Amino acid sequence: MPLHYLCGQQHRARSVEDHVSETDANTTADLVRRGLQQARYLTIPRVETVLVLALELEKPLLIEGPAGAGKTEIGKVLATTLATDLIRLQCYEGLDEAKALYEWNYQKQLLRIQADRAMEQSWDEVESHIFSRDYLLDRPLLRALTASKRVVLLIDEIDKADEEFEAFLLEMLSDFQISIPELGTIRASHRPVVVLTSNRARELSEALKRRCLYLYLDFPGVEVERQIVDLKVPELDERVRHSVATFINRLRKLDLRKSPSIAETLDWARALRALGIRELDAPNVRRTLNVVLKHEEDLRKVESKLGSLLSDSNAS
Amino acid sequence: MKSRLLQFIDLLRTAGVPITAAETLDAARAVTVVGVEPAVFREAVAATLVKDEADRDTFEEVFDRFFAAPAATPKPGTRFQPAGGGEKGRTLDPESTSNSQSRDRPSDRESHRLERGEREKQDGADRRRRMAYLRALHDVPLKDLTPLQVEECELLLAQLAKRLRAHMHRRQRAARRGRIDLRRTIRRSISSGGVPLFPQLRRNRPGKPDLVALCDMSHSVAVATRFLLALLAPAPHYFRRVRLFGYVDAAVEIWLQDGHLVQEGALDLYARSDFGRVLTSFWEERARLLTRNTLLLILGDARNNRRPHRADMLARIESVVRKVVWLNPDERKRWDTGDSVQSAYAPHCEIVLNAATLRELFIAVKVLYR
Repeated sequence: MPLHYLCGQQHRARSVEDHVSETDANTTADLVRRGLQQARYLTIPRVETVLVLALELEKPLLIEGPAGAGKTEIGKVLATTLATDLIRLQCYEGLDEAKALYEWNYQKQLLRIQADRAMEQSWDEVESHIFSRDYLLDRPLLRALTASKRVVLLIDEIDKADEEFEAFLLEMLSDFQISIPELGTIRASHRPVVVLTSNRARELSEALKRRCLYLYLDFPGVEVERQIVDLKVPELDERVRHSVATFINRLRKLDLRKSPSIAETLDWARALRALGIRELDAPNVRRTLNVVLKHEEDLRKVESKLGSLLSDSNAS
Repeated sequence: MKSRLLQFIDLLRTAGVPITAAETLDAARAVTVVGVEPAVFREAVAATLVKDEADRDTFEEVFDRFFAAPAATPKPGTRFQPAGGGEKGRTLDPESTSNSQSRDRPSDRESHRLERGEREKQDGADRRRRMAYLRALHDVPLKDLTPLQVEECELLLAQLAKRLRAHMHRRQRAARRGRIDLRRTIRRSISSGGVPLFPQLRRNRPGKPDLVALCDMSHSVAVATRFLLALLAPAPHYFRRVRLFGYVDAAVEIWLQDGHLVQEGALDLYARSDFGRVLTSFWEERARLLTRNTLLLILGDARNNRRPHRADMLARIESVVRKVVWLNPDERKRWDTGDSVQSAYAPHCEIVLNAATLRELFIAVKVLYR
């Protein structure tokens, strides 16, 4: 098979049969493939390769792409693949160390001091007590480092966090360790698998990108999306399933305020099934379109173009 | 293989993809992990080297040329042999990207499916090219923008204004942390038997200054003014009072209504700008707007058509207001050339900022909100 032929196939998803028939000596690759299959996460081969690398090289994985392309899902899939826990850190503006890393349990420390006063202990003793692990409130990052097994740490929507927070993540991402002034440095006993996702609300710093593997996760093509619908909503009429994928793909090419996500495609497919629709024609689409489009102006735009969008989809 | 990889990375760098030494090592390690099966090899190298989707096209281009397909058809499973003769030093012209994708098809049976794949690939490439284009738009000098590009910038401006709002919001939140408020802490501790279980922090209210902006409306800087006004859209939330003025040779009050510029009274847009005169009349007629809580923002190229610059008026204004910030949409190297008198005004401004591109303008406004 010539090389350019292989490369041209990047966007074709492997069907389930391909997965089984191919024998592969690489165990991590096997693991990932089986994990994706188990989680029923259908994707392009590119994703598979990058996941294998993330596990093998023990490097954080940065996933960028439009909202709803399945970025967060990858973290979850990885956790099921490795049969381990998922620790999730949802980023937002103003997220700080106290919320992400650790915080001293002030109330508990105070109680301790009060209790010790009655027992007349020396100051040194009290001090060593109140700054010990018992008085530390673990937040997601610290929990991921101190877990007793390898966990998956999902840092979701890192672009929403402040730039300072990003800088602060660097120590953790490159050395997998955290310094707590009162306690010393805490090193990871088992390096967590780190997945960062970003919607590109802002550019991430070069330093952060440098430390990560990079994956751009776009919406899948018609073919893959069709297979996803087949896999997740098999009860729907086959013809409708196919028109759904084609129609959604057309929608994404329009200039909409919010392109429909894969989850919304599936929601729509489920809605159509629940309504017992057997043909995707204009009245049916109009009835259910609000499952897919959540902005008034998007709805109006698509409704005006409904005729051409649908007639095309029947032709192909 | 190792040296081939290094050559490839070198070529990528020449093509403008930033790659550090650490990433080179990553790529090498990645290759040892996944082997050299072509499709996998490509993705592994891409994941370790290309950290921005906008660079992906360049990568594909260089990759295809460097690891060109072998002439003979190897059986599936044969190890991938990179063909010799990397085209080192050859300049990559972006036009050829699309051409390189139309190659002969391997077989008729599969060609249909392949075409579909190519079409999807093309869509992705279009999107990427658009992303790279919009990113580059941030750095185009404002005066070189075509009318179409100005329209496109309007879209970006909405995003930037949103970012500014987030930035300000963050600053106000940050101000909520601070020193212990002893009185409130003790009052609160009564409910826990006198033990200060819930420390209360003193609330720092960030001051809300007044904003007065003087914007040049003449043709030479029209685009910059338009963009600045868009970026000032969130300002009313973060300033106590916002007053905008447009000037050419006289100043009139302006404001934005539903994205349109409304002005009070007429302004001769074709007059020759005379900032000296504007300053004088502003001082005489609008002095009550200028208090020690006022932030005065001036946007202009300081080209006064050889009329008296009246920097003394600006000095007088400066002594009254909190600070004066000047944004100059001219490139820095053109300041004080021709009829520009920037350096006459500069000593009376707290800061003079460059705003020749959209990015610079954004950074300048961010400084202003600080």
